[in-house]
Amino acid sequence: MFCEKSLKLIKEFDRSQEAMPPFDDDGVRQVFEEMRGLYDQNVAAANDTTADPDGTAISSIAIRHAALERNKRCLMAYVFNRIRKVRNMRWQFGSILPPEIKANLCEPEIQWFNNYSKCLARYMKSIGGQGLNLAQDVKPPKSLYVEVRSLIDYGKFELDNGEVVLLKKHSTHLMSRAQCEPLIIQGILEQISH
Amino acid sequence: MDPSEVEFIAEKELVSIVPNFTNNEVHLISGDVGPFRAGLPVNVPIWMALNLRQRQKCRIIAPDWLDVEKLEALIEGEKSNRFFTKMPSEHYMVVAQLLLSAVDDDIPRVEEIRMAVKDLWDVRISKLRSSVDTFIKTGGPHARLDYLTTMEINSVRPLLPQALDFIDRLNKVLKKLTTFVFSLY
Amino acid sequence: MEDTFGEEDFLNEDEPVAAHEVLQTLEDAWLNEKFCPDLLPSQDMYVEAMMEQIQQMEDNLTKLKKTDFRVEVHHMELARIRYIITSYLRTRLEKIEQNTAFILEQESTRGPENAYMSEGELNFAREFLALQENHHKQLVLKHVPPPFQDFMSTQQSLVPNLRSHVFLRAKKDVNGVVIEGDRDTRDEEVDLEENSQHIMQYKPIANLVQDGSVQLI
Repeated sequence: MFCEKSLKLIKEFDRSQEAMPPFDDDGVRQVFEEMRGLYDQNVAAANDTTADPDGTAISSIAIRHAALERNKRCLMAYVFNRIRKVRNMRWQFGSILPPEIKANLCEPEIQWFNNYSKCLARYMKSIGGQGLNLAQDVKPPKSLYVEVRSLIDYGKFELDNGEVVLLKKHSTHLMSRAQCEPLIIQGILEQISH
Repeated sequence: MDPSEVEFIAEKELVSIVPNFTNNEVHLISGDVGPFRAGLPVNVPIWMALNLRQRQKCRIIAPDWLDVEKLEALIEGEKSNRFFTKMPSEHYMVVAQLLLSAVDDDIPRVEEIRMAVKDLWDVRISKLRSSVDTFIKTGGPHARLDYLTTMEINSVRPLLPQALDFIDRLNKVLKKLTTFVFSLY
Repeated sequence: MEDTFGEEDFLNEDEPVAAHEVLQTLEDAWLNEKFCPDLLPSQDMYVEAMMEQIQQMEDNLTKLKKTDFRVEVHHMELARIRYIITSYLRTRLEKIEQNTAFILEQESTRGPENAYMSEGELNFAREFLALQENHHKQLVLKHVPPPFQDFMSTQQSLVPNLRSHVFLRAKKDVNGVVIEGDRDTRDEEVDLEENSQHIMQYKPIANLVQDGSVQLI
């Protein structure tokens, strides 16, 4: 039946567990071929001056046309949904794509990502006269400190409020999330969960 | 709305604290707080109260509705009313959660209060569920929701608005279909 | 310990609108934008004013001793305000990206004094639409039969659902809101009492959100 391939494109993308499945060049090409075939048939049928007493020719043309429209819509949806994911990557990862993701994008998508990054940067720079990075402050700030434990003998460390603490192996401290996060990432501290 | 955002909004509410330090008024962008006199109660937003409490710079005074008897009276009132009754705070659930977990030793009978708040929440939510059920079935274009708090409204999002949107779309289609059919005859 | 630091410096007394009023306007705008299916008029003037306020405050804070308890409190408030502003602008950007052609078309029907988008948003919207058009042309439209190569026809289907249901609170008495009937009910007229809360379609109350009579919640 018509449009099976284009529907398959969308379904597979939808169902994919990967962060970004590879671009299905083959699948897309097959839909183009189907469309070309349908279109050529319609052009031929439209130019055919033989009588069409019971209207079957007209109906066939209409059905093929509907299939062509549907194929186009599916292709557009496939490309659109993929690019939305690429767009979300900019917000998640910043302006540099992780190599595993980049490997699954087609060249135009990589171009789109770079152009979107530039476009976004231009906008953010224009905000409020001084510019504002909208990719920061994505969660409401927490009022409470985080309790952390030092994993190594780090030594003296100055907190946001000016207090100087000694980070010894196993010592525990209260710190603002903003301050301890980089240290947690570096493996110097670990968060104590209750 | 993410629950962390509901909490964010709730943290603006004022609560009474007793500071152990003295300081002049603080001119926040959202308004002035203080002055702070050691030993004298002063109202500050919850986000500030929690931070000061954690830094051991103050004691938090429970709002007067965070009390077992008062809460039980509210529960009775809620059970005996068809509609939703007015809550002592627009964010009673979040405020209770935030204050009770931060101030174990400042507030007596913490566990009982916690249970009472949860019971109150349960009564209201179950009332909300059956109202929503009825509302969707009768499909009225609009409903009045006085005295529902932010967290409660958020608990039926996106389900309720989406269900109503869907019904609206179906009705639109049916209307078109009906008009079309009538136009043929 | 008395501090001689002049806190009056924090607020610019020349501002016609008090800082806390600017903040309240932004908070209301943030919630409205969050729950509204359509793009609302930009509050970019207020965003700019608040960002100046934040900058001033941050500069002033560097003059205080780090151990001053006010420093941390102010920083916390600034973080809260920054969250509201960034969340507000992000929400707007998402809507602009979802319904670009529709929003640009709507904007073109309004004069520059009634623009809904800030200049930055307008430029972004135009660039974004061009990006999308170019991308879809390259990957799809170039390769399909000629009658199907049109980009805008698919764009036109991406419009916000103005009939979606929203929760609202009336900030003052509003009478005679007309809700269109569906297949078996007539039009209904509703009165909104001050402080009452409701759920209904966005369309009938759209103008009330814009003039501040109702707040989306």
